[in-house]
Amino acid sequence: MKLVDVEKISEDLILAREVTGKSGNVLLAKGTKLTVSMGHRLKNWGVQYAYVEGEDLTSEKNYVAIDPNAISDRLNIIFSQSLNSEIMKQIYKAVYEFKISHGAP
Amino acid sequence: MKNSLEIRKTIETVSNIPTLPIVIEKLTKLLQDPKTSAEDVGKAITSDQVLASKVLKLVNSAFYGFPGKISTVTHAVVILGFSTVKNIVLTASIFNAFGKKITENSFDIEKFWLHSIACSAAAQCISRHVGHIDKEECFIAGLIHDVGKVVMCNFLPVEFQAVLKDREQRNCLLYQSENDILHITHEDIGGIICERWNLPKTLQSAVKRHHFKGTEKDFSIVDGIVHAADIFVRALDYGNGGDNKIPIMSECVWRNLGLKEIELTTLLHDISEEVEKASVFMQVLNS
Repeated sequence: MKLVDVEKISEDLILAREVTGKSGNVLLAKGTKLTVSMGHRLKNWGVQYAYVEGEDLTSEKNYVAIDPNAISDRLNIIFSQSLNSEIMKQIYKAVYEFKISHGAP
Repeated sequence: MKNSLEIRKTIETVSNIPTLPIVIEKLTKLLQDPKTSAEDVGKAITSDQVLASKVLKLVNSAFYGFPGKISTVTHAVVILGFSTVKNIVLTASIFNAFGKKITENSFDIEKFWLHSIACSAAAQCISRHVGHIDKEECFIAGLIHDVGKVVMCNFLPVEFQAVLKDREQRNCLLYQSENDILHITHEDIGGIICERWNLPKTLQSAVKRHHFKGTEKDFSIVDGIVHAADIFVRALDYGNGGDNKIPIMSECVWRNLGLKEIELTTLLHDISEEVEKASVFMQVLNS
């Protein structure tokens, strides 16, 4: 299992975990064969990363310990008044990626 | 409740606001004299035993990275240099003056200092990434950037409580509530304190203008570094300066510091490492 940026989803990837929305509703079920347009749709729903099947070339151990939704929920609170700025969007993305890669809550 | 003029007057004149110890003044004079020896500086610091023990605790921490034990202040001066030791003394003095909260309200002083210390570490880290030489200055500027908040908390309890209540109700940034309720902010109050303490102009400026709203002509590198450090530390969720929101990064600071050219995830990684090393400052604060 590996975590991929939804913008980098390609046609041959299969979801390894269901993708849920902010209220916990299932957006895509585990096992769904992904398409590029699904990746765009996930992005529009505010999802930035998804777990897909395949070998993780970094560290799967770190990834499974953290919940990407919890990270984005927290960042959405902190950044709630600043995401109209392009710079702040870049910072948000960098912090999200940093927290995912370091397993930080 | 006092208005902004009365608040300014209170902060400018009230006699029980902590002053920095005489040793800081002595050190400033000693550092201006080229004949000063490490021993002179060591003697000046050890005249205040409490301060000297805190200084030794800090210089022996992982933050300064010396594997061997530094057993005397004079030894610390030889190894770390005059200016670093002066900044360590300043740090210990600020903790002595404002480390504890003396009023009852919902302001979390421990999280406040955690945010301030993280901001120091981040400012020092950013200064290295953007090629600014005086990282010590950035460390102190980060540490004291929000000192106006703790002054308000301790010396303007009624006004500060009104600000905290408004901030909670509106779920906004603390300085927005300060501005709307009191028409004076922690930047202004911190600036007055720095003037009273006779701190260098660069530090005064960073305290007064860390929520940078200026243009190119107002830009100063230390102000910009502290502005950016505050934002990165909030984004990484280290401590809490009184709100859980994040102000917008000034485009002017972003451009002038060259942050858009820097790999942000690398910078964040370095900041997190520096913050971890700086955790010893929390221990000294609480000791």
